[in-house]
Amino acid sequence: MSKIVEMPRASCVLGGLNAVLTSLQNVSPIYHSGPGCCMQTTAGVSGQAGLRGSSFLASVSLPCSNMLEREVVFGGEQKLRDEIDGSLEIIDADAYFVLTGCTAGIIGDDVAAVTAEYRNKGLPVYPIETPGFAGDTLLGYETAFDSFIEYIAESQPRQANLVNLLGVVPQHDPYWFGTLEELTRILNKLGLEVNSFFTQRQGIETVKRSGSAALNIIVSPWLLKGAASKYEEKFGIPSIRFNGVPYGATQTAEFIRGVGEALDLDKTLVESVIEEENIYVYGLFETIIGALSWKKFVVAADAATAISITRFLADDFSFTPVAVIITEPIWSSSDKDRITKALSSLEYAKPPIISFLVDHYDIRQEIKKHDFTLLIGSSLEDEVARELGVQLNRLAFPISDQLIINRTYAGYRGCLTLVEDLYNNL
Amino acid sequence: MPRDYSGIRESRPNTFTDLGGQSEEITEGFNKVCLKAADRTFSQGLQCQQINSISALLSLGSSAFVVHSPQGCAGCLSMFSDMYRVGQAHRGVSLIKSPRVIVTNLDTNDVIHGGEGKLVEAIKLASDRYNPEIIFVFTSCASGIIGDDVDAIVLEQQAKYDSILVPVHCDGFKSKICASGFDAAFIAIQNYLLPKEPQVKQKGLVNLFAPVSISYKDQLEIERMLGLLGVEVNYIPFYSSLSKIRRITSAEASTSICKVFADEFMKTLDEDYGIPFAHTVMPIGVRNTDKWFLGIAELLGKGDLAREYIEKERARVLPQLASIRERLQGKRVFICGGTGRSFAAAALIDDFGMELVGLETPTYDLDAQIDVEYLNGIHGDYVIDVANMQPFEQVNLVNRLKPDVFIGVPSWSARFGIPTTHVLDPKRATMGYDGILFLGNKIAEQVSNPGFNKKLSQYARLPYKKSWYEQDAFQFIKGVGE
Repeated sequence: MSKIVEMPRASCVLGGLNAVLTSLQNVSPIYHSGPGCCMQTTAGVSGQAGLRGSSFLASVSLPCSNMLEREVVFGGEQKLRDEIDGSLEIIDADAYFVLTGCTAGIIGDDVAAVTAEYRNKGLPVYPIETPGFAGDTLLGYETAFDSFIEYIAESQPRQANLVNLLGVVPQHDPYWFGTLEELTRILNKLGLEVNSFFTQRQGIETVKRSGSAALNIIVSPWLLKGAASKYEEKFGIPSIRFNGVPYGATQTAEFIRGVGEALDLDKTLVESVIEEENIYVYGLFETIIGALSWKKFVVAADAATAISITRFLADDFSFTPVAVIITEPIWSSSDKDRITKALSSLEYAKPPIISFLVDHYDIRQEIKKHDFTLLIGSSLEDEVARELGVQLNRLAFPISDQLIINRTYAGYRGCLTLVEDLYNNL
Repeated sequence: MPRDYSGIRESRPNTFTDLGGQSEEITEGFNKVCLKAADRTFSQGLQCQQINSISALLSLGSSAFVVHSPQGCAGCLSMFSDMYRVGQAHRGVSLIKSPRVIVTNLDTNDVIHGGEGKLVEAIKLASDRYNPEIIFVFTSCASGIIGDDVDAIVLEQQAKYDSILVPVHCDGFKSKICASGFDAAFIAIQNYLLPKEPQVKQKGLVNLFAPVSISYKDQLEIERMLGLLGVEVNYIPFYSSLSKIRRITSAEASTSICKVFADEFMKTLDEDYGIPFAHTVMPIGVRNTDKWFLGIAELLGKGDLAREYIEKERARVLPQLASIRERLQGKRVFICGGTGRSFAAAALIDDFGMELVGLETPTYDLDAQIDVEYLNGIHGDYVIDVANMQPFEQVNLVNRLKPDVFIGVPSWSARFGIPTTHVLDPKRATMGYDGILFLGNKIAEQVSNPGFNKKLSQYARLPYKKSWYEQDAFQFIKGVGE
């Protein structure tokens, strides 16, 4: 179910699928869709998540059947076969996924049957039948992992020190690349090998190996419930869920301890990693004491970012939370409860006023109700920040006026970058 | 509306979208009417017409917009909302606004039961929230295929609102040529916003139609030049308003600064309202700037004034071009761009004595034929790829032709290590006589300082198989029915 929305903060299912597939190395989406979907879903996802895209295939280089009136009327399956043949002939990919655009989805082209013809010949061509209109980028992200589990992940002997790191949506979370790198760095220190899927040039081999991991680590309060239970059912892989990407010393220590417990890691090792990183972070915090003036803040962001930034600013930086607006659609009441609880359980500060609003007009009106000095949001909040004369830091999708390559606010090193960016000389 | 044009560009006679070969063979084929309608059996993503429709209208600040589509079809807002915001910044606005865009967010349920209820609700939201002068409603592939009757809804809802409701029919699957979306926007303006009767003409008022990719600096320069002819400019549609749109029909003449922007609309204005127009070229490069300026000046009976100015500007600019020319003379160029920019770039390189080896442009028609024949006269035979991007063909050709410089979107050719540059710079001044100097210096600097691309090329990867570079770049272009 989708609601009417002003200035949407996500693309469609194809946007999420495109983001996942093109962030893997050497994987080719093949759009079976109308002629604008490749560009729309690239502009609408990576184009508003710090602007860095895929190096492999993006926007107008994505293979696409470009369905026109003829296909809409007479069916587009033959056009799709031609497109797949051409892709196999010239695109040097390890796997090809056929995506179903609105046109193909509405007229009912049988993408599963067409792709099966190729798999029967031993060619790695897979269908994703969930059409563009079925939901948003986040559903696309979940659908991609459902397909990976169905078609690609392999049942191999359990590798005790291998973990799957999930819940950071590539090309949607503007800081995805740096975040995955920082979390990988931390997990490596615990002696773990990490399937981050989207860094270190990981690709289809990683997706295959994800079936032999010892643990799924999900850094989102609600994403990938379906994939988590499928990994459990099919491969016996348990999952541990955190409410967001850990920001700063407190959350990252919880993250490390959580993973340590789930995998029964040596406690001395776990504590020594935390201690070493804390010494590094607080050694540097010592050098900037008093550099930032006190701020009262409002957050408008997706749930994971909102929880992490609110806890960091309140618990680790002694700023005052005023209000938090969760700007992605959260449908289930248990998810809402989990998010509300996470935002309300602050160490020292009074809990912020929490609302769940997806529509940009509603979000703007809610922001204007509060008295505060720092706004954590997206590029869309620029207008209201100018109007109110408050500082804006862009942490959440969409970010369309800042170039982000590998910076991150996650973990230990990221929280220092965050504090640098919060500094305001005006 | 007496003039009957569907807005679908490929419906115009002798318009080709899938074509490749040597330029002399193509011009000959076109003249003998033996070019065949073709299609690519393998292709990469195009730009749909909805993207162009949205881009054409989004900076109408006193309007609101309803996109009647699933959420993904609003993805292009990232580009045009940015342009609109930067455009405001350049115009000195401090409280920079976002465009007011409401997406109906069609989903599975709507695909089955119809999305008309959501459209009615979205129009109401747009009106309640912003009470705009105009509410534009953009259609999409999904709304078109499920058969939502957008015109009927608009007709029925109009009575409730002060805002004028304007449907823009830009379903992506209806056209392969994204510029059709510009036509869809102008057809909507024509049907819903223009006064039906011819108006009293205002002497000296000229409609200047310009696409979103024209920077504010370029707007100022073009307006300044037209000011020399004693003209008042009605700049449409960017940063304009309902009152400016309504003045369109009072103008003495029209002109455009892009070959595929408002060209059909200007014909309509001519036929229905008796407003003559000058449809020439994009004023980039000396020859094109001359040609563009003379075109509108002659129409207004001020050719002599224009020639005098052109003489003066040539005397000022040409000596400065000489040093740029020294640096660029004889360099072999591959050009890829939209219809306006690709030919503008091809004309521009003449100013610098460069040699054309390859040209990629989205459509081929009589207009293109005239340009290509002219270019053949200067450069002889070269490769033409009629393609809306299709980077797989581009890299094949660039790899084979090994040009000294690539002009166009650099994402792919840069990886070969050759210098890349572009004549499209929507945030800076590129037009008119001073624009030539900016572009000339930019090209010369980028050609003589190719370090980034050269170093990048040692590590950069392209997604194509090695065998592809040995194959015919045009092998996937097949005659329809073959």
